[in-house]
Amino acid sequence: MNSDVPGRIGASEYLPPAIQSATFVTSQGDESSSIELSPSLRADLLDLGAWAEILTTYGRTMRVAVALTDPQGRLVGECHNPQPVWKLVNDAAPVGGEGCPFCITTHVPCTAVVAALQGGEVVVVRDQAGLTHVAVPLLLGKQRLGAIIAGQVFDRYPEPLSIRRVAKESGVSAQQLWEVARRQVPISRTILLASGDLLCVLGQAYLQQRYGAIIEAELGRTNRRYRLLVDGVRDYALFTMDLEGRVSSWNGGAERMFGYVAAGIMGQNFSCIFTPEDIASHVPEKQLHQASEAGRTEDEGWRVGRNRQQFWANVNITALFDDGGPDRGFAVIMQDITERRRVALAMEETRQERARLQETFLSHVSHELRTPLTAIHFFLTNVLDGITGDLPPQQHEHLSLALDNVKQLKDMVRDLLDITRVETLKLTVEPQQASAAKLVAEVLSTCRTNAALKNINLRSEIAPDLPLVWADPARVRQIIINLIDNGIKFSPERGTLTVGIRRLAEDVRFLCLWVSDAGCGISPENREIIFDRLAQIRSSVEASRSGLGLGLFISRELVSRHGGRIWVESKMGHGSTFYFTLPVFSLAKMCAPVLTPQNLDGGSVTLITVDVAAIEGSDQANILPKIRKVLGGCIHSGQDVLLPAMSDVEPVRSFFIVACTGLSGFNAIAKRIGLGLQNFDSASTLKPVICSTTLVVGAGGSREEKIIEVTARIEQLIEVHLLNEERPK
Amino acid sequence: MNGKKILIIDDDQHLLMGLTARLKANGYDVVSATDAISAIAVALKEAPDLVILDLGLPAGDGLLVLGRIKGLADLAATPVIVLSARDPSGNEKRALDAGAIAFFQKPPDNHEFLGAIRQALGENIALSTFLKT
Repeated sequence: MNSDVPGRIGASEYLPPAIQSATFVTSQGDESSSIELSPSLRADLLDLGAWAEILTTYGRTMRVAVALTDPQGRLVGECHNPQPVWKLVNDAAPVGGEGCPFCITTHVPCTAVVAALQGGEVVVVRDQAGLTHVAVPLLLGKQRLGAIIAGQVFDRYPEPLSIRRVAKESGVSAQQLWEVARRQVPISRTILLASGDLLCVLGQAYLQQRYGAIIEAELGRTNRRYRLLVDGVRDYALFTMDLEGRVSSWNGGAERMFGYVAAGIMGQNFSCIFTPEDIASHVPEKQLHQASEAGRTEDEGWRVGRNRQQFWANVNITALFDDGGPDRGFAVIMQDITERRRVALAMEETRQERARLQETFLSHVSHELRTPLTAIHFFLTNVLDGITGDLPPQQHEHLSLALDNVKQLKDMVRDLLDITRVETLKLTVEPQQASAAKLVAEVLSTCRTNAALKNINLRSEIAPDLPLVWADPARVRQIIINLIDNGIKFSPERGTLTVGIRRLAEDVRFLCLWVSDAGCGISPENREIIFDRLAQIRSSVEASRSGLGLGLFISRELVSRHGGRIWVESKMGHGSTFYFTLPVFSLAKMCAPVLTPQNLDGGSVTLITVDVAAIEGSDQANILPKIRKVLGGCIHSGQDVLLPAMSDVEPVRSFFIVACTGLSGFNAIAKRIGLGLQNFDSASTLKPVICSTTLVVGAGGSREEKIIEVTARIEQLIEVHLLNEERPK
Repeated sequence: MNGKKILIIDDDQHLLMGLTARLKANGYDVVSATDAISAIAVALKEAPDLVILDLGLPAGDGLLVLGRIKGLADLAATPVIVLSARDPSGNEKRALDAGAIAFFQKPPDNHEFLGAIRQALGENIALSTFLKT
């Protein structure tokens, strides 16, 4: 408490720090008070029993009456140590509820209290009889809790005239009142004010002490409630650990889950609940590290109880900061989900098994369907091609339509199998370097007949100088054909269908392919679900003449397996455009295993070229994969990289390897390749020529810059090499 | 007629009939076998220039037949094209690894299929005269 507390009390000086964070401050108050105290706390702060002792002691010592009032100046509780004059009058005519408790014959609340609370200072007031009292404000922050009033004494000798008037008004004997008043020793106003100051200090000090005690009791109750709550939780293990991972609290759920009682495990390291394998690979330490780095960590895994029985737990570790205090450490919440996991695994297994059965079944059905389909196909084409004799035009037309239907059936059989493969995760793509423009051109030529049947104009818009893509040509063809078939299906007669390729403006690592029709458009709510399998099956009624309608679903799966995405933009009545993206072939990505920081710094990145004598015609398709296989076996797989065909000019003669090797290493590789090809090519027609170029990288720059530099160099070397090879000799 | 002889090994009579007609129309001699056992005997007897082989055969898998063909000195050099209703994924690689020169899934594209036959027989495609495919 400040030693220079004057009669006036600066309200904020008495704000106890704890109130700022008190949990039971109910709301932010109006502008006059920033903190609102709950009614129950107010009542508790002014608890009469608690105040009685300090008030009676003060009253007896100072020889004054003393009492508590509410902020409006009304008496709260009793008047301690009442003085004779007041007692006499009050016994005859008790002060009503609204009147000032310490003024005789005044029927308004104590004006001194109101003034004292308003000014935050001690205020003196004297009544008609000449009785004086001081009002001392009780403030907590800006909260006006009430006041203490003290007095009922004369501040000078009583005047007979006033006494007589008061006696008359209150109905007591004037003689008797005067006798009492005469014997009451006056206390000077100065002393009264000084004692008021003292009372003010006492009152505020006590108020704060009481406030602190209430908060503490409340916190104690809260802690106890939390402990009961934590202990009562049975299905979760809840415990805390110190920074080293030693258990510092352990709830009932943990006892039940692990079989250790709290007393038995407190202070032990929590690694005792891990499996021996996890302990050996430092999982507990790693988890603590991760939790303190990130604030929290989550994990699922095996944990071990006291009886060595393992269960599968979901674990949440949260770091406790405690402002650097003694309770820093970790809180752990754990749930035993062994059963849930078992059920989930069993369901997944069942699902997989069902999908496998479905695939086996569909694969069988597909095989069985294809056999008669093939016979029909041959008979139809034989008749159509005139092998069995001339065909009148009308029969030709009908048989052509029959052949179209065979083609549709064939696609449906393929789609059925693809659909199952999506579920068994067997729908695979085998990406290679490919020219998207070339693929689109191929597809367009096969789709022309189909488009011509509806007089649809099929055109393409292919941007110049497109990079090659990293994609599975057969699958990309399948996607484009799907989209074109769809477009034809929904285009009006004589409509135009455009297939295009451009770079993706937002991301240069992708090309965007699109198929645009002038059909009826797709409503916004259908734009997402058309890629959905079930939605397609439902809507397939209208599309039943053109396959199962699974094309978009399969296309989406295929695009996503390439790392791209597929979407549609559409305007009702104006047509739709389907877009999908394919990754651009990237030498840097391909060479990533070689382009490690060590290799780049060590200057040991080498481009090896293997040239063979030209392989012509049909042998090409046969021999190329075999040569690649031989070359693949001569390098360190996972370390060195055999590049895909870098040019689609046939015949292919050059193969490229990006390796991490010095000159001696290169000699070893060259020897291996020579022997490998010799074994494979006993007639020695390939005549391999093997060369190497070591790539020197500038010392400065980041890893990214170095990779860009090296790959640019590799591309340049390959380009020059291919140009030299292709030039006729 | 160029007189090259093709052996079709397939148990589906209708396929045999349809494919035979097409191949004959393209000037080939066609012989056939309908099961794994007779296939080898017919192949040895007829000494075809090319074999078209189905994989699902009575009395033995087509891959076994392919193995036998490649293992017999008289037949090892004969090119084999697999024409199967089975799925290309996996089967194509198995067939090529066992020595087939091409794999076609049923029903094949006529143009590509005959192109492969001509290539296997070493015929110059541009000069061949054949019916519309």
